[in-house]
Amino acid sequence: MHRDLRLTAVGRRYGVRGPWVLRGVDLTIAPGTLTRIEGANGTGKSTLLRLLARLDAPTEGRITGRPRTAYVPERFPSALPFTAAGYLTRLGTVHGLSRASAARAAGAWLERFGAAAYAGTPMARLSKGSSQKIAVAQALLADPELLVLDEAWTGLDADARDELERAVAERTAAGGAVVFVDHDPRRLAGAPDATYTVIEGGLKSGAGGGGPAAGALAVIVVQGGGQLPPDAARLVTTAEETGPGRHRLTVPASHSDVLLRTLLATSPPWHVVSVAPPAGTAGPPLDPRSRV
Amino acid sequence: MSALLRYHVELLLRSQRWLAPVILYAAFLGVGVQGGQPVLDSLGYAAAGLLPVAAWLVRICVTGEPPAARAVVAAPHGPARAHLACLLTALLAAAVLGTAATLVVTLISDPASNGARVRVDRLGAGAAGLAAAYACALLGAAVGALTHWPLLRSAGRAVPAMLLGALMATVLAGSPAQAAVSGLVTGSQSGRVPVPLLPLAGAALLAAAAFAAACALTARRTP
Repeated sequence: MHRDLRLTAVGRRYGVRGPWVLRGVDLTIAPGTLTRIEGANGTGKSTLLRLLARLDAPTEGRITGRPRTAYVPERFPSALPFTAAGYLTRLGTVHGLSRASAARAAGAWLERFGAAAYAGTPMARLSKGSSQKIAVAQALLADPELLVLDEAWTGLDADARDELERAVAERTAAGGAVVFVDHDPRRLAGAPDATYTVIEGGLKSGAGGGGPAAGALAVIVVQGGGQLPPDAARLVTTAEETGPGRHRLTVPASHSDVLLRTLLATSPPWHVVSVAPPAGTAGPPLDPRSRV
Repeated sequence: MSALLRYHVELLLRSQRWLAPVILYAAFLGVGVQGGQPVLDSLGYAAAGLLPVAAWLVRICVTGEPPAARAVVAAPHGPARAHLACLLTALLAAAVLGTAATLVVTLISDPASNGARVRVDRLGAGAAGLAAAYACALLGAAVGALTHWPLLRSAGRAVPAMLLGALMATVLAGSPAQAAVSGLVTGSQSGRVPVPLLPLAGAALLAAAAFAAACALTARRTP
C-alpha cells in the first residue's frame, strides 16, 4: 500500500432522504496494522467496512488511498455455476494472479482451511461453513494490501477459525492492513493495533464494553543476543528478561507462529528455548531439553 | 479487466440462462425469415429482434451474481469496473448472436429488392445488416443497463421498464436502432443498400453514456 487509506469526515446514507447510517467518521488505516471495529447490530459496521473496501462511495466527506483490497462478506451465498477450486482460480485471476499461480494458490488455501476435499464440488452443493471457507480463501489468494473481514469467522469450524486468525497475523506481519468485525470479544484478542466502536452513526476510539478481552496467550522463552528485534517486539504482549540474553515472551496465540518465524529469521537467529501453549489448552509446556 | 471479462463470460455461459433468449430469438427468426426472401428486408427484421434480446442478456448478466458474490469480485478493482465487465459481457454475447444471425440471413436470402426487381450486392447487404444489428445490440444493452441494478433493483419494476424501453427504442422515430432498421427496409424497396454508419455511431454513443451512468452509480446505491 503506497499510502494510508484515509476517511475524512465521511458520512453515508442510502437514498436521497434516508437516515444517516454513518456521519463524521475520521479513520486512517495504515499498512501492517490490525483494526477491530465493534458495535451493536445494525449500527453501521458493515457500511463502514463497505466504505473501507471502496465498494460504497461516501455521501459526504472523502476517502483517499486505494490499496489492493480483498473483501469477505458476512454471508456468502454459493449459488454460482463453478466448482470450489474453479471459482477460487477465477477469483485469483481477478485479484491479479496468473492462471497457473491462481490455481496453485487456490489449492494451497483450500488445503489450509481443510476444504481440499471439496475442490471439485460444485459451489451450489457446499454447506454454509464450506462456502464461508471459499469466501475467506478467495480473499487471501493474492496477498491483498487491505483485507476487510465482515464477520468472516461466523460459520467456520474451530480449526478454520484458528487458521484464519493465523492468516490475519501473517498478513499484517507481511505489511498488509486488516480490518475486521466480529462479535466474539476473544477474536484475535490482544492483537489489534486499534479498536473502534460504532455508536449512533459515529466512530469512537476504544472498545465498546469492558475494555479488551484477555485472549489466549502463548508463552515463548527465547535466547538471543541483545535487544528483541523491533518486528518481534511489536507482536508480543509482554516481554521480560529472565536471564542474560534470555527472554520470556507472551504473545496472542494467533500470532505465535509469526513471532517464531520472525525470531528464527533474524540474523543471527534467536534460539527458541521453549514454547508453552495458552493456559487452558491441553498438554504440558514443550521444553526441547526435557525430551529424551 | 480481461480477468473480470473472462469471469463474467464464464458465469454467463455456465449459468445456461442465455438459452431462453437465444431460443426465442431463433424462433423469432424462424417465423419471420425464410430462404429466398429479399435480403435487406430480412436483415432489418433480424436486427430489430436483436434489440430486446440484448436488453435481456444484460438482465441475465447483472442478476446472475448474488450481491455478496458481486461485492467480492468488485473489491480488487472497484465496483464500477466490475459492473462494466458485466455489461460488456452482455453486449459481447448480443454481438456474437447478431453476427451469426446476419450471416445466416445473408446467405439464405434472395439478393434482390422487394419483388425481385433490382439485384442487391450480397456482401454489401451483409455489411449493412451487420452494422444495423450492432446498432440494435448497443441500444438494447443501453436499455438493459439503465433498467437494472444499480438504477432499478426490484424485478417488478425492472422487467416492465426494460420491455417498454426496448419497444420504444425499436419503434420511436429518432432512435438509432429505428433509423438503422428502417434504412434497411426502405433500401429493400428501392434496391439501394444503405450505409447505416450514423445510426451505429449514435447507438455506440448512447450505449457508452448508459454504461457510464450505470457504472458511476454502482458505489452510490444500496447493494
